[in-house]
Amino acid sequence: MSLTCGGVSFSYEEARAAIPALRDVSFELRAGGSLALMGASGSGKSTLLQVIRGLDAPESGAVLLDAAGPVDAGYAVLQREVGLVFQAPELQLFAATARDDVAFGPRRLGWPEAQVGAAVDTALDVVGLPPAHFAERHPYALSGGEQRRLALAGVLAMRPRLLLLDEPFVSLDPGTRRQLVGILERLKAAGVTLLLATHDVDLAWALCDELLVLGEGRVVAAGPWDFGIDAGRLLAANRLREPFFVELWRRLGRDPQRAPRSATEAAEALS
Amino acid sequence: MKATIAQYYAGDSLLHRLDPRAKFVAVSALAVALFVRDSFAGLAVYAAAAVLAYALSGVPFAWFWRAFRPLLWLVALTFVAQVVFAPGAPFFSLWFIHVSWRGLELATYLSLRLVVLVLVGSVLTLTTPSIALTDGLAWLGRPLRRLRVPTDELALMVTIALRFIPTLFVELDTIMRAQRARGADFRRGGLRERTRSLVPVLVPLFVLSFRRADELALAMEARCYRPGAVRTRLHPLCAHWSDAVLLVATAAVIAAGLLV
Repeated sequence: MSLTCGGVSFSYEEARAAIPALRDVSFELRAGGSLALMGASGSGKSTLLQVIRGLDAPESGAVLLDAAGPVDAGYAVLQREVGLVFQAPELQLFAATARDDVAFGPRRLGWPEAQVGAAVDTALDVVGLPPAHFAERHPYALSGGEQRRLALAGVLAMRPRLLLLDEPFVSLDPGTRRQLVGILERLKAAGVTLLLATHDVDLAWALCDELLVLGEGRVVAAGPWDFGIDAGRLLAANRLREPFFVELWRRLGRDPQRAPRSATEAAEALS
Repeated sequence: MKATIAQYYAGDSLLHRLDPRAKFVAVSALAVALFVRDSFAGLAVYAAAAVLAYALSGVPFAWFWRAFRPLLWLVALTFVAQVVFAPGAPFFSLWFIHVSWRGLELATYLSLRLVVLVLVGSVLTLTTPSIALTDGLAWLGRPLRRLRVPTDELALMVTIALRFIPTLFVELDTIMRAQRARGADFRRGGLRERTRSLVPVLVPLFVLSFRRADELALAMEARCYRPGAVRTRLHPLCAHWSDAVLLVATAAVIAAGLLV
């Protein structure tokens, strides 16, 4: 699913004043693409994801899904094909079994029970929690990493074509983190469009073709990764840094623009 | 979604700086006087004092209105009940409803009294942070310690509960958004369906609250909190001459209201 934000603005109504969170945010993400959403804490990343999912209506501007806007017929259906994984989504688990929790979304969509069952099994498989072993377990009896993946399965079961993730890697052990990266890579290969809000520049570089940097609610940089002359200053100004492999390539005197995305690629290039 | 009852408006007015104990005593005394005195003249004196106090607090009027709006139906109910059930010679009758001048008068009086009461109360809550208020209450409740009432512990419990209300609202909002993103709809359906739709919200909220309570208890123990032990305070309550002025002024207002 392609995504276009055109001049999106949004403020939070506080007791004494409206606090602007997004100011005239415009960018495009092609269908099947992957975009890393970065920026300092409080720069508007989470707000942007929630506005895209339609949980908050933008004050001005519009979010287009597959080039359709809020006034077009079928926009509500398109919105349901946008999956949003919240920060620490395991805090939202509630059902008595893993199966019921994952089935919540598909049931809300009104799918027949057979289709719900199939979607739940597939989603559990995708996140590496085989239903035979995990479906009947109590969500709170799972480990932290398993809970995170279960919550992800709850979103994937709704078959999203655009997946928004809010800091999915936070407080995961390296093993689970790697597992999650694998899951996202497979989703990408399956054609799911990814929008990944993260502070982890290395994982953003490994997973995403493009970059969107927000600073105080404004778009600071958008488009393909660009490690030109200004890049260092721009990244530092937004409390970011260059990905490890990019810095390595720069120090090796190689073109940072062609830096490898993974250790495998780096090993190939260097041997 | 926001809790509007007992909300604090940060400011630096004279009323903000007064000792919470003095404010609590003054407001309580005024509330009692409001109920003891039943004449429009007395009410007018107390209303004038309340309006003056509110004006001195520097809080925008909209804040009072926000706190008062949920109570509007209560005032309306009082008014209607008084009009319908008050005794007196009716000047207007319809089926079982007999409206008398006496009834109208009583209804107006009681409704206005409620408004003034809320206004007086909101001056206290708008200008006093909840922690200062509970500290003040704990101090005023000290004599009860002789009866082995754990007043300090109770005050701490209230303080913690108040402290976590906004936190829980934020968490409630996040959980509701997350479940809405998964297709939950909290506005559709009958009462039964709506109640059922709250399960995916309430279960995580309770789990989170218990976890938070556990962590808070551990953190407090780690910082040497012991129930029953004497605690010192970062901001010890300290009365000034202005607090005495407040109490004297309140006494004067109450007396004036009773005498007019």
